[in-house]
Amino acid sequence: MSAQEVSWGDDELLDALRLAVRARQAVPADFVSAAKTAFAWHNIDAELAELTYDSARDAEPAQTRAETATIRALTFTSARLSVELEVSGGSVLGQVVPAQAAVVRVRHHDGAESAVVADEIGCFLIDPVPAGAFRLQCRTAEGTEILTGWFRLTDGG
Amino acid sequence: MRDDPSVVALVARVCGSDQEAWHELVERYAPLVWSICARYQLDRGDIDDVGQTVWLLLVENIRNLREPAALPGWLATTTRHECLRTLRAGRRLDLDGLPPEDQLPADPFAVPVEQDVIEAERNAALRAAFAELTDGCHELISMLIRDPPMEYTSISATLGIPVGSIGPTRARCLDKLRRSPHLAPVLGLNDDIASKGAGR
Repeated sequence: MSAQEVSWGDDELLDALRLAVRARQAVPADFVSAAKTAFAWHNIDAELAELTYDSARDAEPAQTRAETATIRALTFTSARLSVELEVSGGSVLGQVVPAQAAVVRVRHHDGAESAVVADEIGCFLIDPVPAGAFRLQCRTAEGTEILTGWFRLTDGG
Repeated sequence: MRDDPSVVALVARVCGSDQEAWHELVERYAPLVWSICARYQLDRGDIDDVGQTVWLLLVENIRNLREPAALPGWLATTTRHECLRTLRAGRRLDLDGLPPEDQLPADPFAVPVEQDVIEAERNAALRAAFAELTDGCHELISMLIRDPPMEYTSISATLGIPVGSIGPTRARCLDKLRRSPHLAPVLGLNDDIASKGAGR
């Protein structure tokens, strides 16, 4: 910071304080309280599975055939487990790889969650497509647990 | 400024699962996240999404921050990144469609991250210092920073003090504010300023 900036006289100090207070007042209370609820996620020790493929992002337009264009496909990958998703017809068809039974939880920002079961070949169905942003927490019968990053499959909030 | 001990302490407490510290951290930096979102002209729903994403990323990654003092910079950068991602996803900003040579500058709303961070830290320090003023000073200064500021005659009537004593009280209160330890990390030369203020 330059020397000029720190030589606040009374008026400058008052102006600076006015801006500081106004910046805080501009923030809606529910924006702040929603941010505070994020603390609920502070101690999740599941392995994070990263989005490694998203057809909406990665597919080359030239390679996208008309009949497959409406299917969104995503892959989340961690060292021990991957989850592949296909979205079509208003639901999400999922596959745990390597194939095995698992419990898949759909978790939303606000703590709301629901669970579906992946069968012994790792297939599961989430119906309908969850609204808004969510992530999947997947726990296999053997106890391996992974958590995908946040993503959304619907438009808007 | 990068060594603001209060940021480092706050991060350490959050890493130790202190929920109160998380709330303090949010109170302190929510205006930074909000103001960046507002600059990108996102609507309220998108701002809420960006906010959630940013805070969740922070709560999950706070233990991995290499330099806790760099937290505000991390927040500013992550917020911008999420704002841009939101704009692109909504195809309101088709930067990816541009030829590579046209992609710089990629961010039409960009101001240096450092500028956002300095402003946020200064504002947070000023609010913290302000909050610790004595009731009398806090009340008077609150009236003076209203928009528009209250007239001395109304202040006199409200606080029951003579108009003539408002000026000296204002100077005394601002001097206390200036000397607050909260302002030391953002000003760096706090002692110098305090003595300058006192000598006026």
